[in-house]
Parts: sequence; structure tokens; C-alpha cells
Amino acid sequence: MAGERRFEYRVQAGFALLVALAFVLSYLTLFSGSVGLSWSDLSLNSVESRIFWDIRVPRLAAAVLSGISLAVAGLSLQTLFRNPLAGPFVLGISSGASLGVALSLLAGFSFGYFGVLSAASVGALAVTLVVMTVAARFENSTVLLIVGLLVGYFIDALVSLLIVGSDAESLRVYVSWGMGSFGRLTFDCIWIYALSVLLGLALLGLSVRYLNAARMGDDFAKGLGVNVRRGRMMVLLGASLLAAASTAFCGPVAFVGIAVPHLAFMLFKTSNHRVLMPASALCGIVLCLAACQFSKIPLNAVLSLVGVPVVLWVIVRGGGIRK
Amino acid sequence: MTNLLQCEGLVLGYQAAKANAAGIVAPFSFELKAGEVVALLGENGCGKSTFLKTLCAQLQPVAGEVTLCGQSLWGSADATAWTARERAKLVTLVRMSGLVCDRMTVREFVSLGRTPYAGLFDGRSKEDEKIVDEAVSLLELENFTNRWVNELSDGERSRVYLAQAVAQQVKVLLLDEPNAFLDIPRSRKLFMLLQKLAKERGMGILVSTHSVEYAEKYCDRIMVIEKGCVRCESANEARAKGLLDWTEA
Repeated sequence: MAGERRFEYRVQAGFALLVALAFVLSYLTLFSGSVGLSWSDLSLNSVESRIFWDIRVPRLAAAVLSGISLAVAGLSLQTLFRNPLAGPFVLGISSGASLGVALSLLAGFSFGYFGVLSAASVGALAVTLVVMTVAARFENSTVLLIVGLLVGYFIDALVSLLIVGSDAESLRVYVSWGMGSFGRLTFDCIWIYALSVLLGLALLGLSVRYLNAARMGDDFAKGLGVNVRRGRMMVLLGASLLAAASTAFCGPVAFVGIAVPHLAFMLFKTSNHRVLMPASALCGIVLCLAACQFSKIPLNAVLSLVGVPVVLWVIVRGGGIRK
Repeated sequence: MTNLLQCEGLVLGYQAAKANAAGIVAPFSFELKAGEVVALLGENGCGKSTFLKTLCAQLQPVAGEVTLCGQSLWGSADATAWTARERAKLVTLVRMSGLVCDRMTVREFVSLGRTPYAGLFDGRSKEDEKIVDEAVSLLELENFTNRWVNELSDGERSRVYLAQAVAQQVKVLLLDEPNAFLDIPRSRKLFMLLQKLAKERGMGILVSTHSVEYAEKYCDRIMVIEKGCVRCESANEARAKGLLDWTEA
């Protein structure tokens, strides 16, 4: 019982620390930067007010929503595939989004009012459909993992063909998109991103029973009365939705999806998804908000530069990843 | 004693859905009563694990019917069949190998036994926690509830797997070679525990094992799968009736 109490204390302290860090970093994201702001500057129609509402708030929203979506999608997929290297992009969803954007920027296809955003969404969702179709036919998660990787490679090859035939300016814009950024989200689009994330989280939240049982494999989960087929489809759909939304609004953001679930596990020392899912979401928020403080460096570079030392430190200090 | 499991004309085999599927044993009937422990013996590859998987609905038989607590084990068109969740409250199969418990403490693993009783978000009530505590104590795991399962010895892990099944509070307990990794005192204790669970909780227990001595001493009946035929006799009479002759061949 002493062990149980120690665990509860660790969970409460961990959540309190992460929430406090998230608030401090949110404040810094909103009020510090190249132009320092304060509450008193936010009067109507001032330049500071426009910076706050048009740049800082969308950036904060992008970082928070991306942190949540990538971390939770990564955690769920690592559990589903029982593979610590799985992440939101193993299913080829990022590649699908890249193909959509490449078609829009490099081949001149029009994707309607939202442009690159629609292109990335259409690409990501098309790959999601392929993955779901395969998942419905094959019980074995390893087959799905291989199919996702193959689809990713195939699409990357198509993108390479488009790159070969493109002009320098289009290529520059495409490469810039590929670096990822929290600065592309506009205030008007926040609700679409938030809604997609909420929907994805709802699907994954309702799959907690499956995820907890699936840690031991599908046969074991079936023995516990869990509907494995339904759980797997819900997790795939939820994780795909989260990864697609994040890629559409912020570009292919690497690292968070793979590393954050490990970070959350090392902080909380549990693989119960009732704890690990919100813990991963909070760790993702903190990491993305920390990356926000370096807005002049490409996002993927800063995430790896900030994140890798932090995760390595936690691993070394925590005694290493479990066998 | 009431029948918990009833098999009629059962033909075991893989790929039951295929038209040309062949059984690995001749059709047989079997019943498992509340309060009894039945040992399942036979050479490697004779179909012991296949039988156990069939009884917990992981495998569909080539032919025949299995009834669990009065209702059909499989779904399909049969409206009176158990749902997967109801079935998980009645029967479970404990396997001692093939599970990788990465990143899970002993208590977390034992607590998985309460999954069939959990709500939408997989929470555990105080009652659930109490049942988990009881299972932990029954299998003498109190000293390492917070240790990682993958850091335990094979024998310790076997007890953890059994504790998880005890926490599941099923009526029919199926065990696939539970003493494969246990030392002699622990094996003896395990079979005594199975006897106790059967008698005190009214469970029906079917345990596959290679330990003929324990089967004769601690089980009520012995079932043998040999050369595609299934025979079952009282443990006291099994040797006299030739059920164990194959062990001395």
C-alpha cells in the first residue's frame, strides 16, 4: 500500500509540475519574443493587440494542439504496434500530407480556399483511408506497420519525382513547409484544428480499455473481453486524425510523437493509459511550447535540439529505457 | 456438482473456417464440473494447447459444440451465445510463455484481470482494488507488487500470470503448463492452490501439464490426448486403466 501511495504522489506531483511549466511557457509565448508585450498593451486596434491576437495566440494554439495531438497519437500507435519506435508518421500519414502539399506547390494543383492546408489534409486523409482499408482486412498489426512504411516510401518517391520537375521558388516554399512551423496557423482556423484534435482525442479516450489490454497483445486483450477489431480501428482513426491535423496545420513535425511517450513513461513510471495519455499530452505541450521560444529556428531543428538532450538526460538519469 | 463446461462431438483443429479443415483428434465429449481440477496430459504437439484455446473461444473447432455455463461459447447466428465480455468473466486461459510485459508493474498486470468489469475509461473501483489485493496475497506477491514484470524470474512471473487470472474471478480456469518454470516446492504449492480454488470458489480447472505425479496426486480426473484419441478417467484409476502407459513407452 505504501508503494501505491508513492505512485499516487508521483502522479500528482508530475501533473502539477507539467501544468505549472505549461502555464509559464504559455505566458512567455504570449508576452515575450522579438516584441515584448504586457496586458496593458492589448487595447483595441493597437499594433501590440494585433501582434497578440494574430500571431501570438495562434502560435500558442498551434503549439498546444500539436503537442497534444502528436504525443497522444504517438503513444497510442506505440501501444497498438507494441513498438517503441512507432510514431504518428509510421502509417505514411505525413508522407500523404507531403504529397498533397507537393501537388499543390510543385505541380500547381488547386485544393480550394485553404490551399496548402486543404492539400495536406486531403493527402493525409487519403493515406488514412488506405491504412484503414488494410487494417480492416488484416488482423496482424505488423502487416499494417509494414504497409504503412511501404506506402510512405512509395509516396516519398512520388514527391521526389515532383521535386525533380519543379522550379526553384516552388521548391523553396515546399522545403520551408517541410521544416514545420507553429506560425502558419491563423486565428480563424484555430477552431478547425481544435475540433479535429478534440475528435481524435475522443476516439482515443474511448479506446483506453483496448489500449491498456493491447499492451499484452491482441489475443490477451480478446481474453479480457475487449473488442480488439473495434478498438484497433478507433485507435487508428483517432491517431490518423490527430497526425493529419497536425501535419496539415504545422507541417511534418517529427520527434514529438516518438519521444514524448517515452518521456512521459519515465516521469510517471506507469504504462496505464489513464495516466499516460494525459501525461503524454502535457509533456507534448511543454516540449512544443519550449520550442516556441526559438521561433527564428526551423521547428523540426529546434525540437530535436531542445528535445533530444532533455530526453537523453531523463533516460540516463532514469536508469535507461526498460528492457 | 454442476457442469460448467460441456463439449459434445468436439473435433479440434486449426483453420476451422476452411472447407477441407481436418481435425487433429477424433470427435469426443467432455464436461468440466464446478469444484474439480482436471489434468490434461499428452505428448508435445498432441493438441493440448489447441483444446485449451478452443475452450476459451480463441479457436473455433472443426466440428462440435461447447457450452459454457449453459450457453453456447461462440457467437455467430446463435442468439444465446455469450458476448466476449460476459465470456471473459466466466473463462480465462493462463499461458506462461509468449507474453512480453514491457513497462508494467506486477500490480498493474494483476489489475488487468479486472478489465472485463471496468467501465468505458477502464477505471478500477475500491472493490476491484480489494480483489486485486486478495489475488496478490493469495499468490504471495506482496513483496514485489511494484517491481517490473519483465525483471522477475520465470517462476515469479508464472505466479503473477496466475494472480491476474484469479483477479478475473472466472468460473472456468484453463492453465497451459503452469508449472513449466516452477521449482518442485512451488509446483506442489501451485497444485494445492488449484485444489483450494476449485473447492472454495467452486471453480472448474483444466490444467495441462507434464507432471504426471502432481496430476495423480492433486487432480480429480486425468484427461489424456494420445494418438488423436481423447480419454478421461478419475485420477485414482487412470494408471490402472492404462491412460498413463504412454509415459513409460
